[in-house]
Amino acid sequence: MNLARGRSLKTEARVFTGSMADIIFLLIIFFVITYKVEVDKTHMDLPDTMVRQTIPESEKPAWIAIAPRSEGYLIRVSTGEEMSLPIGTDEELVTFASTEVARDPDKDFIIKADKEVPYERFDAVLDALKQSKVKNIYLLSDQKTVDG
Amino acid sequence: MKFKKKPLDSEIFTGSMADITFLLIIFFMVTMAFSSNRGIDFALPEDTTSAPEISQEESVDVLVLPGPVDGPPVIQVDGRTMPINQLLPYVADKLKQNPKKPVILRTDPGAVYGNMVAVFDELRQAETKVGMKIETISIPTQREIENIWTLLGIGP
Repeated sequence: MNLARGRSLKTEARVFTGSMADIIFLLIIFFVITYKVEVDKTHMDLPDTMVRQTIPESEKPAWIAIAPRSEGYLIRVSTGEEMSLPIGTDEELVTFASTEVARDPDKDFIIKADKEVPYERFDAVLDALKQSKVKNIYLLSDQKTVDG
Repeated sequence: MKFKKKPLDSEIFTGSMADITFLLIIFFMVTMAFSSNRGIDFALPEDTTSAPEISQEESVDVLVLPGPVDGPPVIQVDGRTMPINQLLPYVADKLKQNPKKPVILRTDPGAVYGNMVAVFDELRQAETKVGMKIETISIPTQREIENIWTLLGIGP
């Protein structure tokens, strides 16, 4: 008999890593598919609404962001293809919007504004878009829940 | 004399692949943003140069007054102050006679953007809340309002 006193069988403690490569590749594929560059990274508190529609991404809408008070209500614009850049005057905004509309008359515009922004700042943006003959705009919002 | 041919190892080194894939995962996780591009759509009038055809008497005038940012918006409808929950029943009653009657949403320059969006959102829910769709919601700019006042010969 081989069993000697005080001797026990050794069990191998090993973590199986063979499928790790599959999991990693699966994760990479997920991130590659869902990856989307955010054209404006200004952190803000958006207004909450019950009515929310998905903004069509296919035509790459232009972005206009009105920053909160902490950033001096700075307006940043993006064509939807590159990162947003700050602009100084309302005339520059009209020029930007007019250029985009000249390039594509059906171009959608997204307005991303903090809910605490004074209405007159939004009014100036809306006026610039109307002057530039923009057809459709989207007011970016967060989901409002029933309990507020 | 016979030489023994040493077999060559043909192998791709995959030892660093795990590092590269982890690096890629970390990059995508840090830089990715889940799509949150949802909001209220708003169609602007085709031509703003022509004279406005809507007179104040033919429309429902909603004025958003300065109020608390997170509280219910303070509104005046056709010159009368009313709570936001009475807005849609009032508008629905007005639109019963003429469903094509537009709703003009004006906002005091001293109010905040969030207040205007809250009222606009309420008006957009007319179909679900009172069973009547508001066909035209107009948001005139301060310049347009001043032009209308000039045309009508009245001051602000």
